[in-house]
Amino acid sequence: MYPFDAIVYLQRDDHYKRSDLEQRAQIDAMSINDTKDKVLKIPDRSDYLRDQRRSGQEIMGVLPALYPRELLWAFNILPAEIWDPPGEILLANVHLQASICPIVKRGLEFILKSPEIINSGYLFPHTCDSLQNLGTQVKDLIGVPVPVYTFYNPKGEFNKASKRYYSEILFNLQKTLEKSHGLLSQNQLKAACELGHKIDIRRQMLHAALMEDRFDLSNREYFQLIRAAEYMQGQDYLDLLNHVEINEQIGVAPRARLLVTGILPPGDDILNFLDESRVRIVSEDLLSGSRRIPIVEMDQPDDPMEYLVERFFLLPPCSTKAGGLDKRLQYLKKLIAKSRCHGVLFNTVKFCEPELFDQHFLIKSMKVMGLPVLNLETELQPGLSGQEKTRIEAFLEMLDEGVPV
Amino acid sequence: MSLSAKLKYKFMKDYGAPALMSLQGLKRRRSRPTPSAFGPPLESNARLKEILTRHYYLSRFVPGVKKVAWVTSGAPVELLRVFDFYTIYPENHSALVGAKKQGAEYCGIAEGDSFSQDLCSYARIDLGHMLSGKSPAGKLPKPDLLFCSNNICQTVLYWYKAISQELDIPLIHFDAPFVSDRQSEADIRYMAQQLQDMIPILEQVSGNVFYMSDLEAVLKRSQDSSRTWGNILKAMQAKPAPMTIFDAFGHLAPIVSLRGLPVAQDYYNILAEEIDDRVSKGIGAIRDEKYRLIWDNIAIWYKVRYLATFFAERKMNFVTATYTNAWAETIDHLNIKDPWNSMARTYGQIILNNNLKHRLGLMRRMIDDFSVDGMVMHSTRSCKPYSVGQYDLRKAISTSLNLPSVIIDADIADERVWSEQQIQTRLEAFCESLEDTNRG
Repeated sequence: MYPFDAIVYLQRDDHYKRSDLEQRAQIDAMSINDTKDKVLKIPDRSDYLRDQRRSGQEIMGVLPALYPRELLWAFNILPAEIWDPPGEILLANVHLQASICPIVKRGLEFILKSPEIINSGYLFPHTCDSLQNLGTQVKDLIGVPVPVYTFYNPKGEFNKASKRYYSEILFNLQKTLEKSHGLLSQNQLKAACELGHKIDIRRQMLHAALMEDRFDLSNREYFQLIRAAEYMQGQDYLDLLNHVEINEQIGVAPRARLLVTGILPPGDDILNFLDESRVRIVSEDLLSGSRRIPIVEMDQPDDPMEYLVERFFLLPPCSTKAGGLDKRLQYLKKLIAKSRCHGVLFNTVKFCEPELFDQHFLIKSMKVMGLPVLNLETELQPGLSGQEKTRIEAFLEMLDEGVPV
Repeated sequence: MSLSAKLKYKFMKDYGAPALMSLQGLKRRRSRPTPSAFGPPLESNARLKEILTRHYYLSRFVPGVKKVAWVTSGAPVELLRVFDFYTIYPENHSALVGAKKQGAEYCGIAEGDSFSQDLCSYARIDLGHMLSGKSPAGKLPKPDLLFCSNNICQTVLYWYKAISQELDIPLIHFDAPFVSDRQSEADIRYMAQQLQDMIPILEQVSGNVFYMSDLEAVLKRSQDSSRTWGNILKAMQAKPAPMTIFDAFGHLAPIVSLRGLPVAQDYYNILAEEIDDRVSKGIGAIRDEKYRLIWDNIAIWYKVRYLATFFAERKMNFVTATYTNAWAETIDHLNIKDPWNSMARTYGQIILNNNLKHRLGLMRRMIDDFSVDGMVMHSTRSCKPYSVGQYDLRKAISTSLNLPSVIIDADIADERVWSEQQIQTRLEAFCESLEDTNRG
């Protein structure tokens, strides 16, 4: 029994066609690797990007969150996403107020250090007010030695006009990149879309396996794997995903099952603590994670531009796209049901307005459903504070008492 | 539409509201005197107060007579006027709450319902109003429709989504792509298409039919009002300036919330006449205007009087602001004969939806046109599109124009954020630097 009565499913109830996905993934995996290692080797972000740079790779720094990665791949540009670079925030404080979200601040701190690995420019997709302004601030006021590109993502409830518009701005981005990177080959774009398609399928499959306890990765390993998409070459990343062994059998039941929602996964120390506490994150609704993977399995790309348009409109509901709240709740209810989670962890980035508005409604709704909720606010600093530890422990104790059979 | 509601509304419009205005007139005659640093107050203030009081007063009797729409300040309201919606501007209402120094109370109500303190204070005040039913305007009618555009911020979209969910009413959103470089043809097409696609929904909600001739008439009025407002602001180039920007913050209300209605145009004609008269007679808003300043960002509503007095006593007058200019800046893009595309250009390029290079250029022009000696930037926690980038704007302007400037950290309507001692120290240092620069 779940802790609420009615679970309303999305209209397209073919979210995970598991048998098809598994079959396709198995074929891909066989062709790549016959002897899988038990230990997952995820390359370090900085080392990987430095190696790429040394080999002459064009690398573009991409700020959060939604952008047509396949288009960049087709231009042989490696997108290196900038979400939460570690280190102290010093330089950015000269340019930004104290009440600006740490993702924006860390992004600017990274840019101001003029990292050598970024040689192809910066891309600012339109995500929120702060990132919107940061894009023009960097481009028009601060100035950087590489080009700055922007990309508007339509907002609100989508309709025919938004689809047509998205198609046109994709084309505009292509034309802009062609000025510096030469004409785009349609074959290359198609190949990039096919690669992206394979990655999406494998990611969907892994998320499904996560919900069913069918692999052995720790919480921390799982999110390292998911976040490797932020900097790895598409093919390397697909190879990595294919190394993850999905078990036939369902694993040992954890102490508690959590769904995490927000922009980024909890920090490593929190994930380690959850691992130590035998708590499993069994599903995620993160902007840096599954919100960037289509909600349904898409057909093989035929016309690549059409595919990219379709893909954008098939992404899950997200606060930054500002669709209806009810749609987002229904989507989360579906994840909650599929993952049989016992509680929801809201991992909230301080000052993130899109999430903070949605959260009010979502948390209230989940409480009405009888689902325990823990809201952790983060400024993306490393470590696990005593207060955080106490709150997580108290939450877990609450789950221990009320875990449904 | 009920007959009794209609009769009641008509009675209040013809008799109730005028009676209320008369009472207000009596009350006003007993109001406190103007501090000596100021010149004679604008006579139009009385008319402004009447218009706004009447608007909020009549709104109580509107349900059952007209459909009510809650609208954001940058939304193309002209389209709603065609369908005879009674429009309420929650931002305007939140500013009113802020000006009454009740922002913290309303924000606290929203926070008590677990809305984050980090959200925009206009939104928190509005949500606090919704949760409590409180309002300094008496009572606001519940909306039948929400109409918003993210051309001022994304926040309004999240905020209106929350209201739409809570009240289970339709939300029409006008998605205005941010102008990172310049508006593309795709941007224009997208916005123009959205505007046209709204018509069937507006017809359905309002029960009225769309006529292009009506839209043209409303657009014409809107354009005339915005141009008149722009001319009034331009008149502040005169020395001494006939009003302060703190006056303009108040006189802005009709162009924001009554745009497209005859009452707004009539009002700005009256104000323009008075301003022109003051210019011709050399009447200044402050008694001895020595320094002229520019204001950047939304007003600090609960400290308007404090700031006006602080600067007037130092012979400093704010003669221009990026904020008040926003409702006049893009109006020349409007072409009545090409309404959809030109509305896309007009509403898509307003200051907060435009890049910082544009804002820098605009501020430089304003500083030049209005003979500005110094700049005060209000960095507000509530408005990211206005505040992110201010530090670099300040640097660019101060360096290139050798203009004394200061940034004060506060909030538009939540007075808990105001730190008087710290801000006063900063402002005094700024004033000294301004005087030194001019002495030098």
